[in-house]
Amino acid sequence: MYALYFDPGLGAMIVQAIIAAVAGVVLFSKNLMYKIKLFLGIAKKTDDDVFDDIDIKDSDIENKNSSEH
Amino acid sequence: MNTNTAHSSSFRDPSGYIYIENDEVKRVINPIYFKQYNALTQSGFYKKLFKNGLLISHQEVSNSEREIIIKAEKIPFITYPYEWSFNMYKEAALLTLKLQKYSLEHGFSLKDASAFNVTFHKGNAIFIDTLSFDFYIENSPWRAYKQFITHFFGPLVLAHYHGAQQLKLLSNFIDGIPVKMISSMLPFKTKFNPLLYSNIHLLAKLEDKHNEDYKGEAKVVASLSKKGQLNIITSLYNYIKKLNLKEASEWGNYYTKTNYSDNAFVQKSGIINRWVASNKLKTVIDVGGNDGTFVRKIESNLDLALVSDIDNNAVDFNYKTIKSNKETHILPFTLDVLSPSPAIGLNNKERDAFIDRISKFSPDVTLALAVIHHISLSGNVPFSRSAEFFAEFSKHLIIEFPKRQDSWVQRLLNNKADFKDYFNFYNLENFREAYSKTFDIIEETTIQDSKRVLFFMKIKQ
Repeated sequence: MYALYFDPGLGAMIVQAIIAAVAGVVLFSKNLMYKIKLFLGIAKKTDDDVFDDIDIKDSDIENKNSSEH
Repeated sequence: MNTNTAHSSSFRDPSGYIYIENDEVKRVINPIYFKQYNALTQSGFYKKLFKNGLLISHQEVSNSEREIIIKAEKIPFITYPYEWSFNMYKEAALLTLKLQKYSLEHGFSLKDASAFNVTFHKGNAIFIDTLSFDFYIENSPWRAYKQFITHFFGPLVLAHYHGAQQLKLLSNFIDGIPVKMISSMLPFKTKFNPLLYSNIHLLAKLEDKHNEDYKGEAKVVASLSKKGQLNIITSLYNYIKKLNLKEASEWGNYYTKTNYSDNAFVQKSGIINRWVASNKLKTVIDVGGNDGTFVRKIESNLDLALVSDIDNNAVDFNYKTIKSNKETHILPFTLDVLSPSPAIGLNNKERDAFIDRISKFSPDVTLALAVIHHISLSGNVPFSRSAEFFAEFSKHLIIEFPKRQDSWVQRLLNNKADFKDYFNFYNLENFREAYSKTFDIIEETTIQDSKRVLFFMKIKQ
């Protein structure tokens, strides 16, 4: 069980179901738009990406050299 | 029980606490967290995050029935969220989401999402709260969701609409900016954006509504599938990743604007290089260092260069350069010399004041290039007081003094209009005299083709 040492906010717990549904629709439609744009050949390539994607890739892990461990 | 006293910021989480011993950062883990700790260690979860540089690495030093002690890699200088530039803040937010997604995929979940769990080290944002990971319980919502909004998402969206100064708000709200306040500060049009509406306005509304549900009835109702939670996290990630500052990029090319001929610039960096190399100075703080141009001109190997500036955009520019060059020895942050970050939190001891942190770090040398006229003239700070400030944290001081005839000084003086005469004290003789009380002037060089003088000083014993 979680150590309930801070108040997560009751409203915040309930509202997540709604937010998740909205997020689902947003992600779906963005993805769809991207595919359409890709099909029409107008999708922009992401440039100057300082930030990676959300996923931590396993291949990254192998490649990154870490002397301490 | 361990006899060491916990660090003054380490008291909220019963899982364990941090203490400092012989200048090493150690963490006591209480039995309540043994199960989690063992699972995180044995599954290779910690190790993977260490290897990716996402979590500060640690080694176990002792393991008994009563407590486990780990030693964490030490970070020489901690910066706080209210000292980060916009893109630094973004990186910290994205790191937190990335960790939550990775946790979910491996049966864990972040139990808190405080912005203070992240700091910058070797050119990257890094998570420093090793005990923040807990087991994921199937179909439970993200406990730290609201904290993520009040610590990260809210401030970033506010900064997008109202400028990077908004990021300083967290120093007044150590546990995040109240959702209601974020909601009230955002423009009306944000209510038509589904993501902003649901994550901020709707959240504020529901938080308000359930404020008085003392029985906690809603706890039973709240449930969310893992897929649903991943949707929230991914959509926030994508949104934040694309977020930018509206005011951005007005900060142009400072070095073309200043009144330096190229020759003066080269000369200046030559002199500084000589001083830094001959005195074997390894750690630096550049006060008013802009985008880090001067620190990059230092040819000898530095261990760590802190580059501070009052302008969030300049700091951001520096940060982007660090990212694209993959530099690990420069740490940028915002600093207003006239009002450095205060100590905040319980007993005023949770988050240290800038002066305390920098005194503890004690860089070998302070660079103060082209700032003394701003401090003295814009800030009305007497020389004796600015000398006192610089004497607080490092043994050596390289300071540039623009004479009265310098065009910038002239501009600042003209701004004073009727009070111009009050600033008659601003001249080389008075400067030298005031600083000589605290420092020994080792060398003084006039930069040719400019109205500026460079000083190398050493603090009086």
